Amino acid sequence: MSAGPSSSGFLEASRRGVADADLRRKLENATGRHLEHVAASHAEFPAFDSERDAARRIKEDAIGRLDELLVELKNNLEANGAAVFVAADAGEARDYIVKVVQRAEAKRVVKGKSMTTEEIELNPALERAGAEVVETDLGEYIVQLRGERPSHIITPAIHLSKEDIGRLFADKLGIPYTAEPETLTDAARKRLREIFLSADVGVTGVNFAIAETGTLALIENEGNGRLSSTLPDTFIAVMGIEKVIPKLSDLSHFLEILARTGTGQKLTTYVNFISGPRGQKDADGPRAMHVVILDNGRSAMLADPVLREALYCLRCGACLNVCPVYRRIGGHAYNSTYPGPIGSIVSPNLFGSAAAELPFASTLCGACRDICPVRIDIPRILLHLRWREGAKQPPARWPKETVKVRESVVRFARMARFPRTLRLLTRLAAVVLRPFSRDGYLRRMPGVAGNWTKWGRDFPALRARRKTRKGAKPAPRIADANRDGAAAPSGQSQ
Amino acid sequence: MSAFHKLIARVRTALESPVESARPHQAAADTASPHAAAARRAELASAFAREFGAVRGEFLGIHAPEKIPAKAVELARTLKARVIAVGAGVTLDFDPVRHALESARLTVVPMDTKKSEDAPPLRDRIAQADLSVVEADAAIASTGTFAVVGTPASPASLTLTPAANLIIFRADRLHADLATAIAALGPEPFVKNRVAMITGPSRTADIEKMIVLGVHGPRRLFAIAAWPGQ
Ligand code: SF4
Repeated sequence: MSAGPSSSGFLEASRRGVADADLRRKLENATGRHLEHVAASHAEFPAFDSERDAARRIKEDAIGRLDELLVELKNNLEANGAAVFVAADAGEARDYIVKVVQRAEAKRVVKGKSMTTEEIELNPALERAGAEVVETDLGEYIVQLRGERPSHIITPAIHLSKEDIGRLFADKLGIPYTAEPETLTDAARKRLREIFLSADVGVTGVNFAIAETGTLALIENEGNGRLSSTLPDTFIAVMGIEKVIPKLSDLSHFLEILARTGTGQKLTTYVNFISGPRGQKDADGPRAMHVVILDNGRSAMLADPVLREALYCLRCGACLNVCPVYRRIGGHAYNSTYPGPIGSIVSPNLFGSAAAELPFASTLCGACRDICPVRIDIPRILLHLRWREGAKQPPARWPKETVKVRESVVRFARMARFPRTLRLLTRLAAVVLRPFSRDGYLRRMPGVAGNWTKWGRDFPALRARRKTRKGAKPAPRIADANRDGAAAPSGQSQ
Repeated sequence: MSAFHKLIARVRTALESPVESARPHQAAADTASPHAAAARRAELASAFAREFGAVRGEFLGIHAPEKIPAKAVELARTLKARVIAVGAGVTLDFDPVRHALESARLTVVPMDTKKSEDAPPLRDRIAQADLSVVEADAAIASTGTFAVVGTPASPASLTLTPAANLIIFRADRLHADLATAIAALGPEPFVKNRVAMITGPSRTADIEKMIVLGVHGPRRLFAIAAWPGQ
């Protein structure tokens, strides 16, 4: 497993994903259920949009004075007794964590769910140093047992059915086969509880780091993040530089929107606040606490006027669930720690040219921008990255399929200059394609047009004649409408 | 130049680049959560009970502080709990709770916090408890949430490792929403202690998005509101 894409095999991987009908069924099932919960939780919270705006403003402010806030955060964490290490890249972060683990003579490391530690490929480094590393989030534990990487930033095992997991647990944990989620969860709880109680080091990510108090906030549902940061003697938190927010009072604005969008809950089960190691008299909590603040390409994103907005991301995962591309191909096709729309933005910047194709993996439909709790304009950033990539590459380097689509669009544009011919051809096509039409859609098309429907896409059936209601006036031509002032918004621009 | 100073230098240089905003955002919108500042306590309690139930918590009602020991014994009996870990109260005295449980011939885990060396055994004994009892520093009506501050006499594990957890809160510490609760707590407990906000029992939806309770933390979470004269 590697954190970044190892080759630009996105097209092949996405083809495999699309062809896997079972995977698509599982994805549709899980993402559909998530979107229903999200819609319900937004509907019952009238302040949702004002909270989104407040959160967005806080992020704009925080990222705009990141230098100040990082100094404040570091000073306050140190005053609280935590050791702070700043890592310029993944290698520095890994080396530091390995050293801490070795110094603690740790044999067992438990991990809460953390995409940042996936990004820096921490597990293999710790294993090479002789430590046993156990992922403790149920989804992460499942994919670790399968030797896979997570396929979603919130639901790592979204690509697996309960039957897949039942077979896995029977094989790896030696329990009798069952597809009952309760029994499977209970088996994992028992196994992981023993591991927690004997772990020497706990590693987690960070959702928010509050500069004013030097406090880390960890947000989760399972309690494994709490256990990882409470039971072992050494606790290591790994965070990207963008996680810092100015004040404690800012946090509620994020909490009000994060779970509502990420999981459809009002609030996640646990919000854990950790500022430093345990006090002299405390009965639990780590004796040593380390905070690794990671740059790894983020300051370069900060320097880019368009890309900077991507640093507002809360990693709620909603843009993945709503993305028509992700829902068709699944997370593994992206071959990156961060899949989906936001992954297509951050991966090329964190992992370089190997992920350069990902910004093209979008229909630019805008569903991600609409659902994003901090209103990140993802399509705009994707276009920016496409232009950036396009400027670097000679046209011949574009994927064959992209070139073909482009040529077809150019041909269509030429034809569209002759509307009468176009109408005539449409009518002709409607007659030819009529036998293929069902419920107003073409799900299969003959000849070259079949390329469109080959991957499961449909197309609205063409009509031989334009439908007009009896007695209805023909629609005014644009030129006429402009003359009447009807097309001018609010009738203002005369 | 240290790594940290190098990072700050990189960030400063990066910040010098102009920003191109996607679109203007509503500048003057209210930044505070809407909250019912004048809501009556009873209304808040009923909102809390509704939300707490929605996250599969079990609300055992509003009771006078002197009735709480009997309620704790009743719950322990219903759950067939034998070992109970009891934290220190925040506003309430928990000694009567401990005595009542012991009189009912239940084992109460002693919270010996004098010596730091005792921490691992105490931590493990808490993990073996069938039920734990703590007092929350604050509760939040709009989400059915508790804010529990971990202290030497009431360790964070109490709300984490036992199979079931009873959280008691004083009705006057019930706030309308997150923003008011965080403001009421103030920054001090966040800096000095470990604070956990808890909304229902531990849960996962990692298998086909189906909710299963008690994946790591308590499987059952109970609440009692304490108010004199009830
Ligand atoms: S870009 Fe927005 S929707 Fe996507 S993960 Fe980040 S915060 Fe969530």
